[in-house]
Order: sequence, then C-alpha cells, then structure tokens
Amino acid sequence: MSANPVGVARVDRAVLRRFIADKYAEVATNPELGFHFHTGRPLAQMLGYPGEVVDRLPAANVRSFAGTGNPFLFGDLAPGERVVDVGCGAGFDALIAAQQVGSNGRVVAVDMTAEMRSKTADGARGMGLTNVEVREGFAESLPVDDGWADVIISNGVVNLCPDKRAVFKEMLRVLKPGGRIQIGDILVHKEVPQDAKDDIALWSG
Amino acid sequence: MLLEQTGFADIVMSNEVDVFSGSKHESDAKEFDTRGVTVFARKPR
Repeated sequence: MSANPVGVARVDRAVLRRFIADKYAEVATNPELGFHFHTGRPLAQMLGYPGEVVDRLPAANVRSFAGTGNPFLFGDLAPGERVVDVGCGAGFDALIAAQQVGSNGRVVAVDMTAEMRSKTADGARGMGLTNVEVREGFAESLPVDDGWADVIISNGVVNLCPDKRAVFKEMLRVLKPGGRIQIGDILVHKEVPQDAKDDIALWSG
Repeated sequence: MLLEQTGFADIVMSNEVDVFSGSKHESDAKEFDTRGVTVFARKPR
C-alpha cells in the first residue's frame, strides 16, 4: 500500500492513537462538522457503493462513514463467511458485510474508538442484525483467534497505522489459509519528507 | 510491495480514486499524489 513512499515514521504510537481516536470520535458524534476528508453518502457514492445498499443502512451510520475505498468492489461476501472489519468506524462496511454473510455468518467489528464502536453496535441493533459483534482493539493486535476469518475488510485504516508490516502480519494470523483481505486504503505516489511523516497533525488532519 | 513481503499472494488493486478531491485535504493530497484504492489479496493455503 503506501509503505515505500511513507516509509518509517518516528511518531509516538500512543500519542498518534489518541489523536486519531479524538478525530474519529468527532466523526462519530458530530459528522456534520466537516473534516479534511469526505464523509457520508457523498463519499459512498464517490467510492461506488450502490445507492440501494446505502439506503438499507441507518442514516446515523451513513453520516459518519469515512473511508478511502470499497471492500465490496471485488465481490459480495458469501453467506456463512466469518468476517473481521479492522477499524470498523461507524459500522458502514460491517453492516453491509453482515447482511451479505447472513445469519449463518459472523462479523467481528474492531475499533479503538469507543464512540465508533457504540455507533456500530447501535446500527446493528437497529437493523436487527444478531451476527455482528463489536470488540475493542487495535489493527496491530486484533482480538480474534488465529485462523478464524474467511475475509478481512478494512477501509482507510492501514494508512493511520505507523507499523504497516505489523498490521499485515496480524491480518495473516487471523485469516484461515486461503482467506482473503478486501481493503480500501490510500496510495501515496510521491516521497513524503521525514518532517511530514513525523507530523502527527498530518496523519489524520 | 509490503503485502507480498509479509506473505500475501494473488494481489489485485482496483482503479485509483481521487478521494480527496474537493475536500479540505485536497492540497496536501495533491502534493503527495495521494489516491484511494481497494486491494484484494489472499493468504496462501
């Protein structure tokens, strides 16, 4: 993904996590505030989510959607599959996944931000989805057993993690052999200077 | 590519999307030519 141009960042991971959690708590609780990235239905449309898919989701989950890709571009998930959503945010993708895998499938939605976890859980309850479990955790240390998942989805999260190698290794641990990732993120085509890599304010605005 | 280095295979990338166009982050994104993308990859059996 953005590994080569971004390279190694000398940021304090705990400080970065707090900064990002604060930012995304605002996206969860006050999505109309306006952020440096797009959110909500206009973003979903830009990323190619069908309107009828978005229409089935609770408005509150749609309003707080933030992402950089569309994990379902490579096809719907199959009924009965086990899914982990890494950095589920407001639950936009987790709720879509839960409908696709159905009552015989499961979705574990992981996020470090309490406000986002609450929003995802509220959305699942509102839709009557009993196959969504929301867990607190980090992308580098997922609260999921080895080899549990058929598929991992994620959207705009890996770029917020300074140790991307650790994130991908953790995804491998959680996947079954033959399992897959379908993740949206960003590509950075130009070299990022070290001072920018080390500027926490630039990581999520 | 880091995904390959960590052990993933069958890597496929979608078309890139200018996801920051029109956002407050547009100038920073343009400076580093930053685009949104979706990636598929598989854990080998």
